[in-house]
Amino acid sequence: MENPLHPFELHPFVHLSLLGVDISLNKAVLMMWVVVALVAGLLIAAGTSRRLVPRKLQSLAELLVEFIRGMILDTMGREGMRFFPFVSTLFVFILFCNLLGLVPGSFTVTSQIVVTAVFALFVYSMSIVVGFSLHGVKFLGILVPSGTPAWMLPLMIPIELVSQLARPLSLAVRLFANMTAGHTVLAVLFGMLVSMPFIPAPLAVKVGLFFVLVVLIVMRRRIVASAGIVGLILWWCLIPVLLSIIWIRWLPFVVSIAINGLEVFIAFIQAYIFSILTCVYLGDAIHLHGHEERAH
Amino acid sequence: MPQFDTTFFSSLIFWEIVSFAALFWILYKFAFPPILEALETRERKIRDSLEQAERHRAEAERKMQEYEAKLSAASRDAEAVLARAKDRAQRLLEENEQRLLAESERIKADAARDIEHERRKAIQEIRSQTTDLALLVAEQVVGRSLSDADHRRLADEALQAVADAYEERRS
Repeated sequence: MENPLHPFELHPFVHLSLLGVDISLNKAVLMMWVVVALVAGLLIAAGTSRRLVPRKLQSLAELLVEFIRGMILDTMGREGMRFFPFVSTLFVFILFCNLLGLVPGSFTVTSQIVVTAVFALFVYSMSIVVGFSLHGVKFLGILVPSGTPAWMLPLMIPIELVSQLARPLSLAVRLFANMTAGHTVLAVLFGMLVSMPFIPAPLAVKVGLFFVLVVLIVMRRRIVASAGIVGLILWWCLIPVLLSIIWIRWLPFVVSIAINGLEVFIAFIQAYIFSILTCVYLGDAIHLHGHEERAH
Repeated sequence: MPQFDTTFFSSLIFWEIVSFAALFWILYKFAFPPILEALETRERKIRDSLEQAERHRAEAERKMQEYEAKLSAASRDAEAVLARAKDRAQRLLEENEQRLLAESERIKADAARDIEHERRKAIQEIRSQTTDLALLVAEQVVGRSLSDADHRRLADEALQAVADAYEERRS
């Protein structure tokens, strides 16, 4: 059986270096370019029509913009709209990396820990920079939740420090782990599809069972009519058993289709989680202690 | 795991930053402004339309109320006019009836009085003529004239008795 982590391996096609740093091109880099080209093409095409009554592509782009705007307004309020281009670029970049990685033969950029770590560190340092530039030294107050009594400070500051440090780490690991896990499961299923041993039976038996299967499927209605619910249950048990004897690999085949569907959903969810946490962290930096400052 | 193989870190980091920056710049420059502008235009258009619709609705409602008020005033007026007319007609009718009744009563009374008067006159006349006739007859029978005053008194008494008997029978 093939190594299920094989899809995450990289091989440089073109060796390049810049000031002594290796910047060789590989599949992941190629995928990033594809994502950039696709997203830019789609969104520019969506923007050129500017119809009052939008067509499909424009509606989709507007949906995206409204979605991210809603996210920003919910977490950061009006002044958060300055970060709209950044957050939406981050969202579409991650989303398309996740989705395009599901295309067989492509590469999932976001399954590389280094890629997610760069995003996470960038987002986190951005929130720190925004916080200090808006509030100055008072931004250190983020380590003290509002309303903490003074004697709790020795306890609260270390806890909050850990929670702050956990932010970039969890951000990076969550996306990386989700993408890696999903693709590993898919790889395992595809591996099973290729390498699962057939159930040994003479070809004549298999052909005979195939005809039985066909008859069962054709006669389904009559079986149910004559044997009622028992017939239906028997029918549903017999079909997979017969199928398994004839061709056991239908199982990983069907499950891999289902998991693929789930992965599409996860691709959206993870892109959403990454962007909304970005908004939350930036929002914390803008409104140091939540609502008391958002009020005015 | 191949993801922890550090050989590709530098190229991945470099190209990630380059790609992300490129995408950010492209979207910031060319994609978001038109999309946001289209959204804003639509938002404005929708808000304007809604406001206009609201204004029209308010105006329509106001006009409706105005018309309704006018209509009800007109119908109240009409009712009042009708009621007055009916009242007047009734009064006129009653007045006429009364007047006609009174007139007819008067005419009747006049007629009765005239009749009574004529009757009395006729009776008087008949009586005096009868007296004269009776005297004339008596003169002719007796052959001599009675002294006028005595005889006239006698005759009158006799006649009075006749008239009384007549009246008695009539009543």
